[in-house]
Order: sequence, then C-alpha cells, then structure tokens
Amino acid sequence: MAVDSSMSVLVVDDYKTMIRIIRNLLKQIGFEDVDEAADGSEALGKMREKRYGLVISDWNMEPMTGYELLKEVRGDERLQKTPFIMVTAESKTENVIAAKKAGVNNYIVKPFNAQTLKSKIDAVFGD
Amino acid sequence: MPKARRDTYNDILGHLRTRDDAEPSLGDVVALAQIAAESMQRFIESMDAAVNSELRDIADYIVTMKQEIGVFQANDIKDSRIPAAGQELDAVVRSTEEATNSIMECAEEILAADTSDPQAYQALVTDKVMQIFEACSFQDLTGQRVSKVVETLQTIEKRVARLVDAINAKDVEGVLTRADAERVRRKEELMLNGPQLQGGGNDQMSVDALFSKPVPDAS
Repeated sequence: MAVDSSMSVLVVDDYKTMIRIIRNLLKQIGFEDVDEAADGSEALGKMREKRYGLVISDWNMEPMTGYELLKEVRGDERLQKTPFIMVTAESKTENVIAAKKAGVNNYIVKPFNAQTLKSKIDAVFGD
Repeated sequence: MPKARRDTYNDILGHLRTRDDAEPSLGDVVALAQIAAESMQRFIESMDAAVNSELRDIADYIVTMKQEIGVFQANDIKDSRIPAAGQELDAVVRSTEEATNSIMECAEEILAADTSDPQAYQALVTDKVMQIFEACSFQDLTGQRVSKVVETLQTIEKRVARLVDAINAKDVEGVLTRADAERVRRKEELMLNGPQLQGGGNDQMSVDALFSKPVPDAS
C-alpha cells in the first residue's frame, strides 16, 4: 500500500500550535486535505462522518484521550482498518507497549522532526 | 493497683487489725472515713501531678507548633507566593505561545513566498528571519520567570521540611476527595504520565526498537 497524498488526514491534538506544526509538515510532504480535532471524541465524530486515510493523534487529551480513541477505532468495524499514528510526549515503555497492543501503526515521540514524521508515514504505508 | 489506692486499703486494714470487738462504733466509721478521705487526697494529689505534667507537655507542644506554623508563613505562601508563581507560569505559557505563533507565521510566509523575483524574495526572507530572531528573545524572559518559580518552590520546600520535622508529621491515608481519587485512577488507567525528564522515558530510537519487538503476552 503506497502513500496516497490525496487522502484525507485527521490530526488530533488539544494544542493548536502542534496541529499547526503537523499541518505544515504534512503540507511539505504533500498532504493538502488535513482536518483537525481537539480530542478523541471530536475525532471519533469526524471519523464517523468522513473517511480518513490516516489519523495522527496525540495521547494526552480531555475528555477522550488518543489511547481511548485508538481503542474505539479498533473496536469499530467500519473504522478499524484506518491507519493510526500516535504522536505524543508519552514516552514511557508502558505507553508504547499499550498502544501497540491496542493496534497503533506507529509511534512518534515529541518533539519530532519532519523526517521522522515522513519516515513513519512511509513505514505505515509500506514505502 | 495504683500506689495511692493500695495505701488506702493498707490504712483501713491496719486500723481494723487494731480492734478485737465485732461491732463497729460510730467513732470507727468516722475514723475509717477519715482514713479513706486522707488516702483519696493523696491519690488525687498524685493524679494531679501526672495530669499537670501531661498538660504542661501538651501546652509546650502547642506553643512549639504555633511558633513553627508562624515560621511556615502559610498566609504568605497562600496569598502571595503561589499566586505569583501561577502568574509567572501563565506568562511563560503566553509568551512561548506568542513567540511560536510569530515564528510559525514567518516560516509559513517564507514557504508561501513568490520566488520569481529573487531580490524581493531575498528581502522578504531577510525580514522574516529578523522577526524570527526577535521572537526568540522570549527565551531570556521565560528563563527569568521560570527561575522565580523555582525559587518559590525551593522556599516552600524548605518551610514544609522544617514544619514536618518540628511537628513530626505523619502522612494519613485516605484524604483524597472523590474527584481527586477519580483523577488519579484515570491517570493510572490511561497512562497519562506526561513528558519525562531526560533519561526518564524512551527516545525515538528506543521507541522504534520497542515497536519492532513482538507485543508481550498480556498474561
């Protein structure tokens, strides 16, 4: 599965600046169709209305965390195949293992650079 | 049996042993009552001394505690230091956010700039880079603000440590409110650990290594 830069990407983060950074980085990589959500529940609502090719989510958000969103997505028959990358400051081993068990496709630790984001997106799509 | 009460019984017993007739007279009853009253007096006096000593200790402890609580300056911490530290941290958040936005706006303008006119493009890039330099000056101010907060925390830490030592404080369990307990439970369950200090978490390379291993069995 190659990266299709025309696909819609949903960026989920409660910090506006981080959404702006990721949006800019995605734009540089070639993604133009980028939507945003401020927490897991808002993201879930958007995912049920629109098909996204990739979700990039923070972990620590209220009221629904990125980890809860991941589990909801993987438990939803219609959404469960959506590629999901966690981008977070949660860098403890228990977080990484829990996310992997819950079915995350890749895991990026903040702060990160454009190259890391690109390489993880490529890895998710098998490029 | 306390000594005072034992003395009372001994006194009464001694008095009865001096008598050889069976019927007690009124004088005997009065004498016995007198012995009992004198003995009780000694008992009460010895109790008074013990209670007095205890009360003196408690009073000394209360005076020491009052002095230590005075030295702790709780009102200074509550009314001045903690609100000031909160304001400093708010200012840090605001200034970093403003600086980040300024820097990102400059970068976005550079990325979106028309490159067909090299001279105009160079002028724009120079102008935006200068604005980025200016925005970076926030670091000096935030450094000073954070230093003030650290100083406040150190002051509070010293005062708390002194108070804990002075009153030999012991932590009591079960003092969390239901909301606090729920917050703690949620943090643990959802692994909301937050950013780690250097060496406390995994860097990207370690995360990648963890990610490449098979998921450990839940059991």
